[in-house]
Amino acid sequence: MSIRVGPGDLAKYPFLNEAGEYLRQSGFGWDELEKPEMKEIIDTAASRIAAGTAGQVNDSLERYEKEILVFLVSLILVKSISIEPVLKKYSLSEARRAEKFLTEDLKKQTDPQKRALFAKIFEDLFSLKIDVAENGRLFKVKVTDYLRRSSHFHEQEWRMINRLVSRGFVFLDADEVVRLVRNELAILIHDRVAKMNIPQMPAAIRQKADELRAELAPKVQYRAQAVTEYPPCIKHALEVMGRAENLPHSARVMLATYLLAVGKPVDEVVEVFKNAPDFNEKITRYQVEHLAGTKGSRVKYSVPSCDKLRTENLCFATGDCAGIINPMQFGRKRA
Amino acid sequence: MNDKNQEIVRGAFREYYFKHSSQVEMPQDIAHREFGYMHLAAGMTRHLSFKSRGEVMAGLVREVPSDVYCSNAIYRFPTLPMNEKQWQGADLIFDIDGKDLDLPCVPSHTYRVCASCKHVSPPSEKEYACLSCASKKAEHVSIPCSRCIDGSKKEAKRLIDFLIEDLGINKSSIRLYFSGNNGFHFHIDDESYRPLDSPARSDLVGYLSGIGLMAESIGVRKSPGSDLAFVKFPKGGLDYGWRKKIADRLKIDATSAIKLSNRIKEKGFSAFKSEVDSMAREAGVRIDPQVTTDVHRVFRMPGTLNSKSGLTKKRCDIDQIDSFDPFQEACLLGDSKIKVHLKTPVKFSLKGESFRISKESAELPAFAAVYLICKGLADAS
Repeated sequence: MSIRVGPGDLAKYPFLNEAGEYLRQSGFGWDELEKPEMKEIIDTAASRIAAGTAGQVNDSLERYEKEILVFLVSLILVKSISIEPVLKKYSLSEARRAEKFLTEDLKKQTDPQKRALFAKIFEDLFSLKIDVAENGRLFKVKVTDYLRRSSHFHEQEWRMINRLVSRGFVFLDADEVVRLVRNELAILIHDRVAKMNIPQMPAAIRQKADELRAELAPKVQYRAQAVTEYPPCIKHALEVMGRAENLPHSARVMLATYLLAVGKPVDEVVEVFKNAPDFNEKITRYQVEHLAGTKGSRVKYSVPSCDKLRTENLCFATGDCAGIINPMQFGRKRA
Repeated sequence: MNDKNQEIVRGAFREYYFKHSSQVEMPQDIAHREFGYMHLAAGMTRHLSFKSRGEVMAGLVREVPSDVYCSNAIYRFPTLPMNEKQWQGADLIFDIDGKDLDLPCVPSHTYRVCASCKHVSPPSEKEYACLSCASKKAEHVSIPCSRCIDGSKKEAKRLIDFLIEDLGINKSSIRLYFSGNNGFHFHIDDESYRPLDSPARSDLVGYLSGIGLMAESIGVRKSPGSDLAFVKFPKGGLDYGWRKKIADRLKIDATSAIKLSNRIKEKGFSAFKSEVDSMAREAGVRIDPQVTTDVHRVFRMPGTLNSKSGLTKKRCDIDQIDSFDPFQEACLLGDSKIKVHLKTPVKFSLKGESFRISKESAELPAFAAVYLICKGLADAS
């Protein structure tokens, strides 16, 4: 069966290669961006970038000729603004917009033509093979394809143990399949902007980009505050040490990397371990210095992630841990 | 290990690598693996590379390492420092270690070697204090018994079931080995797992170990503002994977929403949540999370000797796991007579022979003498 990407699909998915092909065929050139009738396109693109940077997702759908141009102009504008957090937030908002359309379309998967189109989008853009499950209500992806993506999500519900798994496949509904590739979609858009090479920026774009830069730059800067309290995993480890009980190696690594990361000097960190039943100052000092990157491999070790600590049974999360993925983020707030 | 002990162990190990070279299994892509040796004298050499089986075997007979390791990873440049090796992927591996299973038999065959004076105390239920110098710090040395091996086998069988039923791995892609001391190692020949990074493997470990299962994933959600819950079973049903495992333990199926709801009403959601969490941990496999998540690990090479025992990391057919006796099949050292001085009375079985020695010195077949020397319970005399 041949797969045809129609104009309606291009409006929703302007990042597909077919959209570029459409522009080439229509004979579109850079100089057209200077034309007065392009002002509306440039303004729409600018407002989408501003909304995207503010975390909003635009799901309005114009006719496809306009959508493709708005997408192209947005990319050029973001490139021209050249502030990394703006690019990141814009890419994510575009990804979420596409995610919404993809989910809707995927739910209509009874149409074989549509089903083939989506299988093609997933395979072409993300090398992800999706199949409809035998019961016809869910989709299935290979365990390894799932793990490669889900392991970077923070929500507990994405851990594979909370999924339906059988015979090498993870079963997902339409929303979940699309959520699985959202980050890659954002990366795809991010990379497309990053690799863009614009020989000469049209004046109309330059001017709009300057305005946007002045408006957005202060909004994306933030400063982290100092840690006010230890996270529960660290507190627990310190309590065990305080009771002179044995702490597993992995917990010692967590404790030492954390204390080093919050700026404690090596001497002070070594002191914390002096209660350990098997304490040997020379060995402890070497190991702490190794973690600090001053001995051995000279690589400074980072604090293990919450995910890793959960797997090692070292996580004692409380409500205050909501939304963090590393103990280092505990208690930090945006100023 | 003192010089005399080293000489005995080296002789026995060299003879093994000479006579039983066919036992040593080479990895795929041999030239792109990192090899490592642990030395009998002490210390370790890593970042070694070999191009062929012949080179590996020549190295083993020449160097006689106490332990031989090979990376699960494939590198473009295996001999360069870690950050320059250029990682290309790593085989999926698992380690089930008998000592992590908290088996009740362990204290009855665990000897304590004093950290200060090296005096060996025989197994005892009493709180440890060295009989010679009263120190309380000791290294624990276990002579695993058949119950330990049965415990590890039980975990191994559970893992095999997960690998086939849930992960869809072909039975023929699963290689199972006795570790050479007190556990089992798994090597999975499935290339689709090779590219997985450490977080992905960590998620897989969580899955297999039963860590992090939410009550929500079987359709039980907390009612806001109370300790009650409502039940709506998931779209995919309760027939596979963890959902099935938990449903079976709760004795429910897709028609039991009301039954489950009543049960939660009695205990409250929090209690139900912890019940599900403990059920999952109990049904999970006890694998070493570090081994599976480390994508730069050097792992004991199949068919080589383990210096904790002198036994071989021996292949075990997964269909024959019940009848596999590692103390018989993995004991491949010679049987020339060696005189040893025993530090404590011992009892153990190897190669179908039971040893119960209470004398201070004895003449034993090499496999038994090396076993005790490796365990630190005897010295060559």
